Amino acid sequence: MTLLDVQDLSIVYEPRGSEAVPAVKHANFSLEQGEFVGLVGESGSGKSTLGFAITRLAKPPARISKGRIIFDGKDIAEMEDEDLRRQRRGGFAMVLQSGMNSLNPVRTVGNHFADIFAAHDHVLRSRRKARAKEMVDKVKLPAAVLDRFPGELSGGMRQRVSIALALSLEPKLMVFDEPTTALDVLVQRAVMETIRDLQREESFTAVLVSHDLGVVLESTKRVLVMSEGVIVEDGPSSQILNNPQAEYTQMLLSHYADPRAEVVELPGLEVRGSQITTSTRSGGLTGSISTDRRERKAHDPIVLTRVSKIYPPPRRGEDPVTAVDDVSFVLEPGQSMALVGASGSGKSTIAKLITGVERPTSGTVTFGSLDVGTLHRSGLRRLRQDVQMVFQDPYSALNPLHSVEYTLMRPVVNSGELRGTAARTRVLELLEIVGLTPVEQFAAKLPHQISGGERQRVVIARALACNPQVIIADEPASMLDVSLRAGVLALLEDLRQQWGVSMLFITHDLLSARVVTDQIMVLNGGRVVEQGDTAQVLRFPEDPYTIELLDAVPQPARAGPAEEIA
Amino acid sequence: MKYVLRKTGLLLLTLWAAVTLNFFLPRMMPGSPTDAALARLAQNGPVSPATRAAIEAQLGVPTGNIWDQYMQYLQNVLTLDFGVSYTFFPQSVAQLVLGALPWTIVMVGLVTIIAFIIGTLLGVLAAWRRGTFLDTLPTLTGTFTSAFPYFWTALLLLFFAGYVLRWFPTSGAYSPRAAPELSLAFVGDAAYHAVLPALTILITSLGGWILGMRNTMINTLGEDYVTFAEANGLRSRTVALRYAARNAILPNLTGFGLALGGVVGGSLLVERVFSYPGVGYLLYNAVTNQDFPLMQALFLMITVSVLLANFIVDILYGFLDPRTRR
Repeated sequence: MTLLDVQDLSIVYEPRGSEAVPAVKHANFSLEQGEFVGLVGESGSGKSTLGFAITRLAKPPARISKGRIIFDGKDIAEMEDEDLRRQRRGGFAMVLQSGMNSLNPVRTVGNHFADIFAAHDHVLRSRRKARAKEMVDKVKLPAAVLDRFPGELSGGMRQRVSIALALSLEPKLMVFDEPTTALDVLVQRAVMETIRDLQREESFTAVLVSHDLGVVLESTKRVLVMSEGVIVEDGPSSQILNNPQAEYTQMLLSHYADPRAEVVELPGLEVRGSQITTSTRSGGLTGSISTDRRERKAHDPIVLTRVSKIYPPPRRGEDPVTAVDDVSFVLEPGQSMALVGASGSGKSTIAKLITGVERPTSGTVTFGSLDVGTLHRSGLRRLRQDVQMVFQDPYSALNPLHSVEYTLMRPVVNSGELRGTAARTRVLELLEIVGLTPVEQFAAKLPHQISGGERQRVVIARALACNPQVIIADEPASMLDVSLRAGVLALLEDLRQQWGVSMLFITHDLLSARVVTDQIMVLNGGRVVEQGDTAQVLRFPEDPYTIELLDAVPQPARAGPAEEIA
Repeated sequence: MKYVLRKTGLLLLTLWAAVTLNFFLPRMMPGSPTDAALARLAQNGPVSPATRAAIEAQLGVPTGNIWDQYMQYLQNVLTLDFGVSYTFFPQSVAQLVLGALPWTIVMVGLVTIIAFIIGTLLGVLAAWRRGTFLDTLPTLTGTFTSAFPYFWTALLLLFFAGYVLRWFPTSGAYSPRAAPELSLAFVGDAAYHAVLPALTILITSLGGWILGMRNTMINTLGEDYVTFAEANGLRSRTVALRYAARNAILPNLTGFGLALGGVVGGSLLVERVFSYPGVGYLLYNAVTNQDFPLMQALFLMITVSVLLANFIVDILYGFLDPRTRR
């Protein structure tokens, strides 16, 4: 039986005072009872807008300009407000993108359930407490969470709570909007497993909205692929995986690979064993830049000797937190090393120790002749000329009020003798290095006028501005769409090879670690559990934690199990 | 509970610091009250050393070292002994302050609280019905009225509602014939006299609360938990009050604490215009007459009231926001 029928649906955004932008164009599809369908697309593809529209949560400036959405035989656009509210029980429910923020911070989890039961009266008063317990049990949480405030729960637990809340409405259709995006890799895997189990047991119809084709193919039996507001492909998961028709789907798929494979290839990047070659089209590097490369070559190693970092207890009466526990390694000049681990494994703390933001509790961090742990103002200034960071979030790493030129001019002026036109020439040169051409145009732009991938290139250019020896890249590509990810990684790899900078690459994404680094260190709870040649470690992992991390990488090729059930 | 204890400890500590500063600051200033009194006398002719001694004795210029003076002062503060007023001699400062305090606290305090409650509710309504006349009317009126200076509003009300229309009395806290007592008739009379000054404060402060609440509420309405609550089909009243407004009010509490703290010291202009016998009016008299003991006691009162108001808001935060309780 058809549960949801979307007919020729178009949605436009009509922000006040500017032109209307189409977000969804002529979408046609229907969902059968009990189906589990994926809705995949990159940011701006209209997938979330569509998800909000079929649960009638779309708000101005979004407006349905054309078409109908028939849910269970009724046109949802024609429902009265009170009918709509009532049918949120037993009708369609939604789990939001950042489940972390979808709980009211001043109400306990138990009160959230109480509010839902009070609103719909579908559970007997005397049964409500027990029902809430059943619901949290279904998402594999202890009953004690009912007395907790959201702020006292971890991100994964909060997302489980919001799934349990949506489930307590006994919906026929559940829309999951990027349910695991903000979560740690290992947690992401566990939450997805819970969602799959629940869907099977409760047999509701489910739509999984995600940017991650890997996650979607692993879980769903049918996939809709969206690009620029158009559903470009709609087919069974196996067909999408093995015989994708749309060019866009093929492009998305090409960005997935198994980090364990003997040969890993990504568009623009190629890996053979541990030998890396970059193709020429990836970066903007050309021979026309007349700076002497040898001058920039890294010559100082970073040496960590038995470094530990212990933070004081977060609350009185608790134990101190050991973020980094007895870690030693050497980053040789010109080398590229990956630090991998789940969140809380201490990888970002190591970056802070190397850049002198934090001081080690014990052990030493040295860069050339500098003992980083003892540096003060002027010493840190010198260190930062040579050690630069590339941050995770390109959206918050740039001051929105400053043009690209101003952003890049500051480090150029602060770190050298260049002034006036010479400094400007250097800024334009930097833009050319990171492939933002035509440079004159990009220099004049403000951060909001350029895309996420371009912003990350500006951040990289900023890191390069003072000719550093070392670049510390903290999850440089994790906020970007897959199609942009490879470009940024290729750029970093090019820079390392052509300019001889050393790179410390911090990531949870083993695939990107595999394609851009030679050495790898796997961290768990502040300790190094495995280290060595990247290809060697990832192909033949020995530590169970490394294996767990590898298993958590979404694999389109693992869509197999979902097929069997079908 | 631990949170309340910790905040109480902090309050006592800051109170002590304020009292101590109040003791040492005047002593670091050049000149002394004796010199001031002698200078005034000297205008009428030469002053003998005996006069100086007499004035010192009359003012009670302290003997003993500074530590003894400090202990004596602390004891005096605890027993509310602030000496004798120059202006209203021979009334004690404590008598004067205690006589003025209730008028200010009841009238200004109550109005501040009422303004906060009404303003917040209107702000919630404005944000919830954004773009309708329920939004534009209070927002525009609020912006307009909160731009009026205090004394100007007071004078307008005084002139129209007091002199021209003769609806309300123009000065004092109660009729000249009534005597302060706890009877219904007297309370009614006092309330009648409080209308104009209260209205002045209400008109000028309401707009700020409406705008503040409306803006934070619009932000919380965009939060995921509000969308999620809607998606779960909660009644719109529950969503508006328990989810959106409940969170939106938190940042405004800080402003409320500041306003409460300003109750004792901040009503000077209004009380002056309406000759309302509160703390502000008393402070005005103390300053114009260089009544040092009275001023010192009033400054201490103002400081203490700010600290107390902050304490109350801190405790309120503890109840309203679980995140601060840690």
